[in-house]
Amino acid sequence: MKRMANIDILPMACVGLILVLAMMILAPLVMTHTQTQVDVPRAHTSEIKTEENLTITYTIEGRLLVNDIEILGEELGQVVAEELERDPYQLVIVRADKGVLHNDVLEILASVKKVGAKRIACATKRPKGD
Amino acid sequence: MRRRKRLRFENEPEALIMNSLVDIALSLVIGFIVTIPLFFESGIFVNAPGVAKAGAADVSDIKVNIHLLDDGAILLNEEIVTYEGLTELLPELLARSVARKVIISTDPNVKYEQVITVLDLAKQKGAGQLALLRSRR
Repeated sequence: MKRMANIDILPMACVGLILVLAMMILAPLVMTHTQTQVDVPRAHTSEIKTEENLTITYTIEGRLLVNDIEILGEELGQVVAEELERDPYQLVIVRADKGVLHNDVLEILASVKKVGAKRIACATKRPKGD
Repeated sequence: MRRRKRLRFENEPEALIMNSLVDIALSLVIGFIVTIPLFFESGIFVNAPGVAKAGAADVSDIKVNIHLLDDGAILLNEEIVTYEGLTELLPELLARSVARKVIISTDPNVKYEQVITVLDLAKQKGAGQLALLRSRR
């Protein structure tokens, strides 16, 4: 009686493991639209899905960035207006550090609304242990 | 006959134990699935700030106006409430409101995190729309 030949699954398992590790490292980089680190507030509510968006980042140091490009506060309206010309229904996400004053964020939101943004969201993160 | 078979198996290389490798891979995948929502950012849709207008559009609807003070106190429809009180009262008010709109205003020095906490609570309790109010200058 002949024995069936064994398939060597070790290389396959190794490749699978490497793929998993690569995915774990790359996924956050690919899925996050901006590389500027900001400690956004935590919230249980999660409304926005992954889609093409315009990201406005406001750091604790007061730096303002639109899609990772630093701009001055006065330029915000113009820059956002140019972006919205291409797609008026583009989602605008405001990523503000949790330590900044709400009034500063309101100024940003007001500028964005003034130039015609129709969909605006505040970025949040899931609370730990949620 | 039996002896012959045994000899053949003795000459074969030992099979690798794959269980541990598969266990590690599976643990990594599960860990990845569990932790990934913590790393990705989500968000809450808001109605961008508008200045308060004179004259309410619909006076018959139940209003849910929340004002956050600099000292951390919360005013719900002009009355001071605790965070726990807000948690209890919000669902009752929203259940009786048609528009289920929550309007949030703040003092000048309120931190953004406090506002998001209240926005999050309002959404959890069934708010349909969240509006941020900017005081007229």
